[in-house]
Amino acid sequence: MSTKLKVSVYKLSSCAGCQLEFLNLEPVLLDLVGAIEFSYFPMARRRYEPGPYDIGFVEGAVTCGEEIERLKKARQECRILVALGSCACYGGLPSIKNWTPERVIVSRVYENSSLIHSIKAYGIDEYVQVDAYLKGCPVNKDELVEFIKGTLLGIRPRLRPHSVCVECKLNEYECISVIKREPCMGPVTTAGCGALCPSRGKACDGCRGPANDANAESLARTFSEYGLHRSDIVRRFRKFAGLTQEFSRGADAV
Amino acid sequence: MAVTRTSSVPDMVVLSGELWQELLKLVTAQYKVIGPVRRGSEHVFAPVKDPRDIDMAYVTTILPPKKVFHQPFQVLFSFDTEEGTLAEEESGEEKVLWGIHPCDMHAIAILDKVYGIEYPDPYYLRNRENTIIVAKNCTEVGENCFCLSMGTGPALRSGYDLLLTDLGGRYLVEVGTEKGRKLLSGLELVPAPRVVLVEKEKRLSQARQKFKKRMITQGIQELLEENFRHPIWEELMRECLACGSCTMVCPTCFCYNVVDKIDLDLKTGKRQREWDSCMLLEYAQVALGQNFRRDRDARIKQRIYHKLLYYEPQFGTLGCVGCGRCIGACVKRIDITDVVSRLAESVESDR
Ligand code: SF4
Ligand code: SF4
Ligand code: SF4
Ligand code: SF4
Ligand code: SF4
Repeated sequence: MSTKLKVSVYKLSSCAGCQLEFLNLEPVLLDLVGAIEFSYFPMARRRYEPGPYDIGFVEGAVTCGEEIERLKKARQECRILVALGSCACYGGLPSIKNWTPERVIVSRVYENSSLIHSIKAYGIDEYVQVDAYLKGCPVNKDELVEFIKGTLLGIRPRLRPHSVCVECKLNEYECISVIKREPCMGPVTTAGCGALCPSRGKACDGCRGPANDANAESLARTFSEYGLHRSDIVRRFRKFAGLTQEFSRGADAV
Repeated sequence: MAVTRTSSVPDMVVLSGELWQELLKLVTAQYKVIGPVRRGSEHVFAPVKDPRDIDMAYVTTILPPKKVFHQPFQVLFSFDTEEGTLAEEESGEEKVLWGIHPCDMHAIAILDKVYGIEYPDPYYLRNRENTIIVAKNCTEVGENCFCLSMGTGPALRSGYDLLLTDLGGRYLVEVGTEKGRKLLSGLELVPAPRVVLVEKEKRLSQARQKFKKRMITQGIQELLEENFRHPIWEELMRECLACGSCTMVCPTCFCYNVVDKIDLDLKTGKRQREWDSCMLLEYAQVALGQNFRRDRDARIKQRIYHKLLYYEPQFGTLGCVGCGRCIGACVKRIDITDVVSRLAESVESDR
């Protein structure tokens, strides 16, 4: 009998970029499949093995009733259920639509809307209990591996809860906010990406959602001082995690 | 401090033009040099291969030079649980830390106490002992600098191995230790006449006129002790982003976290430490989720009180050297000198 962890990967409404990160783990993938088995991973394997599974990674937001059913089934067949990426954590990019009436959104995208039964986009914890959140759009590969290692060892993985600024400073990237007065979301966004965007000279977009003590109202006031229009500030806070209490306070601040 | 001379290198020389270039070339050829270089419109201390990369006119750096001794990420040892073995990293080669300012030198002197006395820290001390420090007096002053108020600049009196002062197109070089003298040993040098010290003093007193920022230090301890419940803390709580930048960039902050980086084989790995910050929510969290500083105002107070009140009894000096980095790095422009001034003003107006 194999002692490998049985892993399943599910997809709801998403771009598949997060599950692709499993395949992008190429340099360590062989070591990884020595320790875990992808028992259900439609993107990568044609053959499925039935549950139960040890870890289930769910990618994507929930945007229709059928997905709620699949999600509930996933919850039942997995010991540990993980929200994989910001869509599954908070609704992510699909949740941008939540502030426009459903009919308007649907007719903007589809010619024939009679087959579309789309609902407000939520993260998966709106419907099921979630054991861990891997944030990011897409998730960070190192964090993904860190999480799997933690599970294999039965210890709490170290996922950074604090702001992106900490990693930005530790790596000494030029501060986009202070120097260029650009609306960097880093101070209120969860680290773990290694301050990826500031490392390329770009303001953080907030893709990893609120940090553990995010003061979004205060940052929104600063964006306003930088000359950002109210609607742009709202968009910044609603891009990935507008449903969270923290970021919705940012969107409502000015 | 009297310097015992072991070679023909004089205690004080003036270098200009070619000789200065030659010194830079010699030092960068012989040592691993870490000096101020540009990064975008900011500066960082980074390894220098080509002496032309050194920017002696830098005002401040993102991280302070303490990072050479107390590294942001420091591997303590690697381990193998199967073999039951530990292996320590080899100690690095001798380095030269080039062009650090007086505030940062003072900060290193504080860290020498933190990491050198009660619980000597082998990692810090190893990095520290392997490094020759070339300091530079400040003849120009940054917008956030207030070392003058803290008594830590713009002129340096001790701690350096070599000390530079820009005399305008030429540098006065003063020898502080034999380690420093070694750096000059490959050059043909004549002692500088004592009169250059007059020129040096002139430049430094001109620099003293340039400070725009100052910190009220008189009675600061009582001021802070008496104002723990002042309304300013609540106001700062609403402003502060708890981002941690202010502590990450502070040259006297010494807090760190220790984490294990385990390899995928789950048997080998590295124990590593990295800088931590009391501004972060999880810093004071203990088992079962209890947190002693859940509120942001408590954390802001911890930072400011630690710098201005709690260092003193432990290390005999204030914990702020007036480098201004925390002000420059703060997206919200929260200014430690301003906080103190406002406390002082409100006490004044209450009288
Ligand atoms: S660039 Fe952004 S993430 Fe980096 S320190 Fe500045 S505000 Fe923080
Ligand atoms: S810097 Fe911000 S937007 Fe960029 S990857 Fe990190 S969290 Fe996402
Ligand atoms: S508290 Fe601020 S000004 Fe003082 S030493 Fe630290 S970073 Fe510099
Ligand atoms: S407690 Fe805070 S202010 Fe004091 S050294 Fe640590 S991080 Fe810096
Ligand atoms: S840098 Fe400013 S906003 Fe960030 S934690 Fe420090 S005081 Fe607060």
